[in-house]
Amino acid sequence: MITSIAHSTIYVLNQEEALDFYKNKLGFEVGDDMKVEGDFRWLTVHPKSNSQLQLVLAEPKEGPMFTKDSAEKIRSLISEGAFGAGVFETENCQKTYQELVAKGVEFMQPPTEQLYGVEAMGVDNSGNWFSLVQRK
Amino acid sequence: MAANNRLKRLNTGRDFIADNYQTPLSLSDIAKCSYMSPYHFLRVFKDTYGETPNEFLTRLRLQQAKKMLITENYSISEVCEKVGYSSLGSFSSLFLKRVGVAPTVYRRKLWALSSEAYCFPAQTIPACFAYKFLGKLAN
Repeated sequence: MITSIAHSTIYVLNQEEALDFYKNKLGFEVGDDMKVEGDFRWLTVHPKSNSQLQLVLAEPKEGPMFTKDSAEKIRSLISEGAFGAGVFETENCQKTYQELVAKGVEFMQPPTEQLYGVEAMGVDNSGNWFSLVQRK
Repeated sequence: MAANNRLKRLNTGRDFIADNYQTPLSLSDIAKCSYMSPYHFLRVFKDTYGETPNEFLTRLRLQQAKKMLITENYSISEVCEKVGYSSLGSFSSLFLKRVGVAPTVYRRKLWALSSEAYCFPAQTIPACFAYKFLGKLAN
């Protein structure tokens, strides 16, 4: 029986810039930041109050996973906003939204009543969309 | 609203630990950053993050120690001091207890596995990522 999800990947255009966004704008904490053989940086972040799910901030680069062409296509799709980073939960959507806007985070949709709660939709500095949800 | 403010204050205390893990920290100093009494801070910190401030501090120090052991050439004593422990004996026993091997063994073992100096070997990250990003399967 699978009991939880430990890691999930968010493809970003630049790890350092993504780290700045997730740490200094969203207020996440660094889980791992390790230099791994093969010139690979293993970088994970998580909300301070939940370290069980680590978000892996990875750059699509030419290598075993992607050809040069595929990596470029993925990077282009990220910039176009084709991918989502996921749903981030908050206790107060309106307040968190205001705090994030003040820090320069871009939102496509302000806090809006939905069937499941209050939700705002933002975008990270790579182009990945995310929902900010206050559950009912 | 109150919960949000409390979380903000708690996060300030948590950030204080993260920014100062290299120095001796007392619960009252940390609690002061969150404008709470030490007892109240300890209780709500545990409730919110699932670990006590001291457990968080220890986890952070050991995490940094592991990183330094692999990516730097510091002696074990230097690593011990740089992550905030004053006694090499206490640091080594804690490391052994939590990581499962002594700091020297940890360094020797991981350095031997890595194909590059001062880098973690691929085996230290989940195999699906090691395979996809590095083309390596665990031995």
